[in-house]
Amino acid sequence: MGSSHWSTDAYHARKAYNASAGRSDFGYTDDVLSSVPRTKWKVHEKLDPKGVAFRESRDSDEHPESLAISVLFDVTGSMGRVPRVLQTKLPALFGLLLRKGYVEHPQILFGGIGDATCDRAPLQIGQFESGNELEEDLNNILLEGGGGGQVTESYELAMYFMARHTAMDCLDKRGRKGYLFLIGDEKAYGKVKAREVREVIGDDLAEDIPFPQILAELRRRFEVYFIMPSGSSHFTNDAVRSFWDEQLGQNVIHLEDLGAVSETIAVTIGLSEEAIDLEEGLADLADAGSDAGGVVGRALAPLAGPRGSVVRSTGLPGGDASAPGTDRL
Amino acid sequence: MSAPAWADTSAVVVDLGFGDAGKGVTVDLLCARRRYGAVVRANGGAQAAHNVVAPDGRHHTFSQFGAGTLAPDGPVPTHLSRLMVVDPLALAAEGAHLASLSVPDPFGLVTVDERALIATPWHQEANRIRERARGGGRHGSCGMGVGEAMAYALARPGDAPTAGDCRTPAVLRRKLHRLADHLDALRRELGDGSRTSPDVEDCVAAYGGFARRVRIVDESYLPGLLARAPVVFEGAQGVLLDEWHGFHPHTTWSTTTTANPLALLAEAGRPGDARRIGVVRAYTTRHGAGPFPTEDPSLAGLLPEPHNGTHPWQGAFRVGHLDLAAHRYALAATGGVDSLVVTHADSAAAAGGRLRRCTGYTDRAGRPLVPVPGDAPAPSHPLHPAPGPLDARADAHLRRQAALADALAAARPVLADGPTPPEEIADALGTPLEAVFSGPTRDDARITAPA
Repeated sequence: MGSSHWSTDAYHARKAYNASAGRSDFGYTDDVLSSVPRTKWKVHEKLDPKGVAFRESRDSDEHPESLAISVLFDVTGSMGRVPRVLQTKLPALFGLLLRKGYVEHPQILFGGIGDATCDRAPLQIGQFESGNELEEDLNNILLEGGGGGQVTESYELAMYFMARHTAMDCLDKRGRKGYLFLIGDEKAYGKVKAREVREVIGDDLAEDIPFPQILAELRRRFEVYFIMPSGSSHFTNDAVRSFWDEQLGQNVIHLEDLGAVSETIAVTIGLSEEAIDLEEGLADLADAGSDAGGVVGRALAPLAGPRGSVVRSTGLPGGDASAPGTDRL
Repeated sequence: MSAPAWADTSAVVVDLGFGDAGKGVTVDLLCARRRYGAVVRANGGAQAAHNVVAPDGRHHTFSQFGAGTLAPDGPVPTHLSRLMVVDPLALAAEGAHLASLSVPDPFGLVTVDERALIATPWHQEANRIRERARGGGRHGSCGMGVGEAMAYALARPGDAPTAGDCRTPAVLRRKLHRLADHLDALRRELGDGSRTSPDVEDCVAAYGGFARRVRIVDESYLPGLLARAPVVFEGAQGVLLDEWHGFHPHTTWSTTTTANPLALLAEAGRPGDARRIGVVRAYTTRHGAGPFPTEDPSLAGLLPEPHNGTHPWQGAFRVGHLDLAAHRYALAATGGVDSLVVTHADSAAAAGGRLRRCTGYTDRAGRPLVPVPGDAPAPSHPLHPAPGPLDARADAHLRRQAALADALAAARPVLADGPTPPEEIADALGTPLEAVFSGPTRDDARITAPA
């Protein structure tokens, strides 16, 4: 007896349920697109940042040492099919983190970023979840498409929300930053505009905040990474690439296959938590049956370099500096 | 034609034999005569196979959908309660077949309690590995993994996947990986050489489709439903296969008496608010291994059985004379019923003078043998409320049932000649007759009591 009959059962079951539903995994998007005129599109109530005091990542009896992880992705047109790929790939993130023991009690938040100058849904922010309801948040993210066409999206607005409207026990109780992954392919606007904050989030901000300032504020709370998928429209746009390189340096990750996004995030966190080095992370991926190792390895090679350590050497410190593999800085 | 009037009370349909008596047609008939808010499953899983033939010729083997789905005034919705073991993959196939019979939007008819266990391909495979390891001593399992799902959940309640988990892939994925580990361990333990396993991601995707397509509901749903409308509880298997009252070990891991429906009614604040309907055939059958005192293989050729054949896991479909002694035992085990439905009355006639009835048993020494149900432990369900592992009392009880099984295997039936008219069956069982089926459809039913 082979495994084929199980796969066949699962395949037919999935097909039967999906066919009967006549809708894709992005249930909310499909409902909205098919039934509501564009001028009436709006964020799902569970993801609406308006009037939200805090999205909280808290410890509990079940999860005594929570770690906040947030993943916000561009939902505008320039990203093409990317958000739909993310929706199918990101749920695996939780399992990867847990199975490999990189993080014991992850709490994950998903969100969507649009363009506040022209979109109906410029910012969508879910909750930090310990596994439950994560899929539902993803499912409810409205993939508006659109965008402004000026190679700029409102990343800074999302960053403002994450800087000012999150509460995390990992930071408050243990002084450990959370993680924030931005996935996109455009630049941020130069400043957080008070008017947009008022409209989208509801805070009564007296003046605009320059981008570098909000980023600095954000980075005191989160390890911030920017993942740039090579399948997106602006991957080869030098203005976009240099913008993020300048702002985030080595924390920009160029990812050639978005199918490996969950693995990339998991290994990035594993590296940062010093649970593993890159080699171990890639070995873990191979063990888990993932064939994303090559893609992840290439994407994360810059992160695996020397970070704060003076010497990276395959030999003993003080060994022959000219020997291959020795890299003295 | 105007829709029938609402039923006065809920109905509980229970099989007083080894299963296959005709619970499906009984439920179909009930739903044709009166309106019910839903058909509710409260035991067993996808191994149920209730054949219903509509008068227009459509035939469906109901497994997880309630047998009110082909009711003439529109399908009656199905609720799978927390006491049922749900198989979402099998439900998909069943829904597709119902759609092919012009049932509109079958999955839209189904609600599932989030607390219900799910049986997965890993449970199914573990089930089959165990049956293979038993060699000639098979228990007669259907190989669907229902008992395995119950056993696994009893041993590891925190790891057992539930219908509600299908909504949260991360949780489900973790549990399925653990199940896969468990299956590997079982293979090593039993020295089973099979290696291949179901694919977790394929299944997570399929279960996700299930969760998006059927309504998964919480504990407030069924009490709310019962407050609005009477329902039909469609039992699965038969009382003689009950986990505690059946003849150990040839039983199912499920409470097949009226105990589960009555427990759900009590939880909803409506204790005893139901009419209990027992179903028997005019002769007795058994599918799979286990004692069957009145078995007579020579009857098989005389009694056509279009929908039950030799099952690859369960084994042969067995036929015997009407076993009134066994049905009396079943009635005592389930605490009695309020009315009786007799099916296959025409088949009995077709067998002519060959069909007999068993009024009692004698043991090897020729002394009367009257099986009496024991004081069984409460129905077990691993997740709510936690009953703990099988305790010493349960163990002693199962030994008693095993001894009873041995005694019955050696028992000789006391047989009287001639087929038994349905009225006499009802008399012999001390229960008013409600309906008699002399053919496969509800149109072949003779109604003998008001609805």
